[in-house]
Amino acid sequence: MTKNYIVENLKKQIEKFKDEVKAEKVGHVIEVFDGIAKISGLSDIKASEMVSFPNGERGVALNLEEDSVGVIILGDFSKIHEGDEVKATGQILSVPVSDLQIGRVLNALGMPIDGKGAIKTDKSNPIEKVAPGVITRLSVNQAVQTGIKAIDALIPIGRGQRELIIGDRQTGKTAIAIDAILNQKGQDMICVYVSIGQKDSKLRKLQTRLEEGGAMDYTIIVSAGSSESAALSYIAPYTGVSIAEYFMDQGRDVLIIYDDLSKHAVAYREISLLLRRPPGREAFPGDVFYLHSRLLERACRRNKEYGGGSITALPIIETQSGDVSAYIPTNVISITDGQIFLETDLFYKGIRPAVNVGLSVSRVGSSAQIKAMKKVSGTLKLDLAQFRELEAFAQFGSDLDEGTKNQLERGKRAVEMLKQPQYAPVKTEDQVVALYALTKGHMDDIAVDKIKSFEEGLVDYARRNAKTFYKEVTTEKMWTDVGEQELIKVIGEFKGGFNK
Amino acid sequence: MATISIKNLAHAIYESSCGKDGAELDRVVQNTIHLISQKHLMNKSKEILASLEKIIDKNEEIVRATISSRVKLEKKIINEIEDFIKKRYKAKNTVLEFKIDEKLLGGIKIEIGDEIIDTTLKSKIHKLENYLITQ
Repeated sequence: MTKNYIVENLKKQIEKFKDEVKAEKVGHVIEVFDGIAKISGLSDIKASEMVSFPNGERGVALNLEEDSVGVIILGDFSKIHEGDEVKATGQILSVPVSDLQIGRVLNALGMPIDGKGAIKTDKSNPIEKVAPGVITRLSVNQAVQTGIKAIDALIPIGRGQRELIIGDRQTGKTAIAIDAILNQKGQDMICVYVSIGQKDSKLRKLQTRLEEGGAMDYTIIVSAGSSESAALSYIAPYTGVSIAEYFMDQGRDVLIIYDDLSKHAVAYREISLLLRRPPGREAFPGDVFYLHSRLLERACRRNKEYGGGSITALPIIETQSGDVSAYIPTNVISITDGQIFLETDLFYKGIRPAVNVGLSVSRVGSSAQIKAMKKVSGTLKLDLAQFRELEAFAQFGSDLDEGTKNQLERGKRAVEMLKQPQYAPVKTEDQVVALYALTKGHMDDIAVDKIKSFEEGLVDYARRNAKTFYKEVTTEKMWTDVGEQELIKVIGEFKGGFNK
Repeated sequence: MATISIKNLAHAIYESSCGKDGAELDRVVQNTIHLISQKHLMNKSKEILASLEKIIDKNEEIVRATISSRVKLEKKIINEIEDFIKKRYKAKNTVLEFKIDEKLLGGIKIEIGDEIIDTTLKSKIHKLENYLITQ
């Protein structure tokens, strides 16, 4: 019975098959090396058009020369031989997009690699798309809560913003990105994590971590591993943003992380040099700025008339021994709307996340902060700036006047408060309570090493006792005198108990 | 010394030799060879020749086609193909090259420049295979 069924089914499908004979433009492989193929013929090919090789591999035409075409091969190039017939497909490279991709790990072409089976979809998005225009955009005025106190208070990120995370190796760049993803639980945000040239073991660890935190329910991982060809590393971020755009088109908010763009630039440099494009500074090709600007420009917040939704981008750049004036870091700094600067020194001093508050900025995020947070974080920045200035100065002598001493003490407490372990995001309203207590001087008489336990206890106590305040801050996003009075009272009560 | 592109050189040879014959043509050929050796382009002679061939084909409206089939084609079919090519490419003359390839199973395959018209059984089966896989 099953045999007949299969035969019948096959017959039906074959009947449906229609074959059209048409003239096709073909070319022949002249040479193939290191993931690059030079092809003769293909006279009508467009720039960045997809071509197909006889063994089913695909390629993208990047160099259109007088009588040859330079193609990058997406995938295995060891089975492509000289003289092979290459067909132009007439399509720009596109990747499949679907709601079913959520929770999955995909390769740079959008195909699942997590062994959970194929994703059936008939929709696809081209990987290169012009960024939304001025008319369709809306200014950034809604926050992305990362759950990291130092960032939410001092370097706030808004939906549709592009905030660079920059720092040396081993300074916790990925950790910030992962914490941000973990904190999006229940915030109606889709997260896309694009891993470019990372170790597969690191990716696996990260995936497990996200699964444990329940974050894979709203996260898609796009990965081009370090063992894959440079061509795949090159297209992976574009694949990621195309998938992100699919969700933005549904009016949803998306957070996309590119980890990291320095490896992306290196992959592009490799391709460009192999294609014999002239090298420029640090041997990068001339269009390496455009490479990143066209990618990051696709992060945006769209207005209601154009469907709403947003893409917030957190690109990551790895610097070499703190050198932010290298080519790629300066490029990406100038493209993005601010940067979170992480430092090795701070990291080893135990200040984690190792955010250098002085050098980090957010150019548009402050308008996205909620009122309560703005209220408490305004003076915090000033406190920290003064503390840094005095800290260096105070090392010379111990004879300090009362005012200076107070500022130093306040600064120490602020630094202590901004320390936060990994995978422990703090809710915005809890951040507000703790920071309020700090900036209004309620913690000045608490010993520095007790700050952490004081903060924890206070937040817990306030949650139970400052109901009006919490309601105002969380649901109504307001800051009133009534709420503030209640908070002051609650802090006083808790402090009484804590000191005993 | 400005470099001369092979295409330009081929063009120059065509222009200077066009419509000439006898002793005049001999002189042109001699001069051409002299120029090529002077400019150290002897090792590129194959490419120059290929380029020249293309230019001649274009100007004289000649279309070169390679036709592959499993069996030797009949005269009638060949004439039909020739007419088709002349009409499609608006050519005056055609130069046809025939190939026998058993692997094609059936049908014919016409290659003109970088264009291919493939009506062979082999490609049809291949397409059907792809169709069934994607379904």
